Amino acid sequence: MSRLEIDWTRCDGHGLCATLLGAAVELDEWGYPVLRGREITAGEGPDARRAVLACPALALRLSRSVNR
Amino acid sequence: MKTLLATSVIGDARLLAGVERGRLDRQNHLWTHGAPPDLTRANYQQLCEAVGLKGRGGAAFPVARKLADLPDRGVEAVVVNGSESEPLSRKDRLLLSLAPHLVLDGATGLARALGAPHVLIAVHDAESAQSMREAILERDDRLAIEVTETPDRFVAGEARAVLSALEGGPAVPPGRKVLPTRQGYHRRPTFLSNVETFAQLAVLARLGARGFSATGLSTAPGTQLLTVDGAVQRPGVIETPTGIPLDTVLQFAGAEPGPVLLGGYHGRWLSQPVPLDGASIVVALGSATCPLGEVYQVAQWLSAQSAGQCGPCVFGLASLVDDFARLLHGDVNGWYDAQRHLGLIPGRGACAHPDGAARFLTSALQVFDDDVRRHLGGGCGRPVLGVLPVPGGVA
Ligand code: SF4
Ligand code: SF4
Repeated sequence: MSRLEIDWTRCDGHGLCATLLGAAVELDEWGYPVLRGREITAGEGPDARRAVLACPALALRLSRSVNR
Repeated sequence: MKTLLATSVIGDARLLAGVERGRLDRQNHLWTHGAPPDLTRANYQQLCEAVGLKGRGGAAFPVARKLADLPDRGVEAVVVNGSESEPLSRKDRLLLSLAPHLVLDGATGLARALGAPHVLIAVHDAESAQSMREAILERDDRLAIEVTETPDRFVAGEARAVLSALEGGPAVPPGRKVLPTRQGYHRRPTFLSNVETFAQLAVLARLGARGFSATGLSTAPGTQLLTVDGAVQRPGVIETPTGIPLDTVLQFAGAEPGPVLLGGYHGRWLSQPVPLDGASIVVALGSATCPLGEVYQVAQWLSAQSAGQCGPCVFGLASLVDDFARLLHGDVNGWYDAQRHLGLIPGRGACAHPDGAARFLTSALQVFDDDVRRHLGGGCGRPVLGVLPVPGGVA
């Protein structure tokens, strides 16, 4: 299982992630992604990876969920 | 900002022992506290576990767990975070300028026990820096001890921002969440804690677990430093046993009746007295000033303190300033927008600034519910007296 993470110091609010992964990401009124905070399901994996690779600011990461 | 030199003690004076006579130089320090014992890492680990010592910088993380998280060897540095980020807090500055040797005993004792070659002290005012530099010259620790002045901005006091500043980088938190115990100073294992924690360690090393636990709560024994400010007759720093009721503190300081802010500008407003629970800042508002106007001024300041790195923090706090301005002028949409924006900023930044700011503003809307209604109905009729200090003045 994995989770999306955003490096807020990098994210420019391009919004591409919400386009590619609408089920897990929406945009707030300033155009920044709001993560729904849940695990990315196996079925969403490919789309999630595509969104990570597409982020122009390299702000999006897919992390294994470890509890720390 | 000027150091608040007014100090007082309820119960035992430990950290503040002797400071009523002014700064304790090396000789007065030894005379007051005695010589520091030489302890091993295992000793520190045991002591911290036995008394449940927690970091005194606000996050209240158990010191024993932080120690246990460090690798057996290769600890690079012990960092004393004296860049007190809460603008209302005075306790750390006070310790640095009046009891520098107690802080140094704690930091150097631990550095030696951990085999760390560096002790780095980050401060953000000239008076503390000078006091620490003088103290270092008065002793011979055979360690590389360095004092660095970091920017006086709210977010610059965040642990990872301090590490970045110590390495010569910008004093802003990096986007990646890393633990200083694993990747701290120059990405090497580092023990970082705030000033009071080190002073407590110095006291604990001398008193032992039994002696340390002779006062305060049985679950979290010892003393604590509180900064008391606002509509009170005697503002300043108080040392009290842990577990002291808030009412006692307010009475002791001569507080006017009225709302109370606990924990500073990342803290929360109270509608009724609650246990202090580790909060180290108590501000009484009194009843003569307009609470929402006061909160609005702090909101402006909080917004200006955003390090400008993270979109939701930057835009969210700016929007909230605007929401509160409209609310003050009786526009109900200001209230609705504020509620929505307060839900949008927590957890969406590289540091905890948006979370803390949201806590402060959310609790204000709850506790000042009646005042909100008065403003929506035309105003509360009270002036904004500036009971809540805003560093650098009001914009
Ligand atoms: S695509 Fe990247 S930069 Fe754009 S909003 Fe998403 S995370 Fe931010
Ligand atoms: S969350 Fe806000 S204050 Fe913290 S680093 Fe990002 S922009 Fe700066």
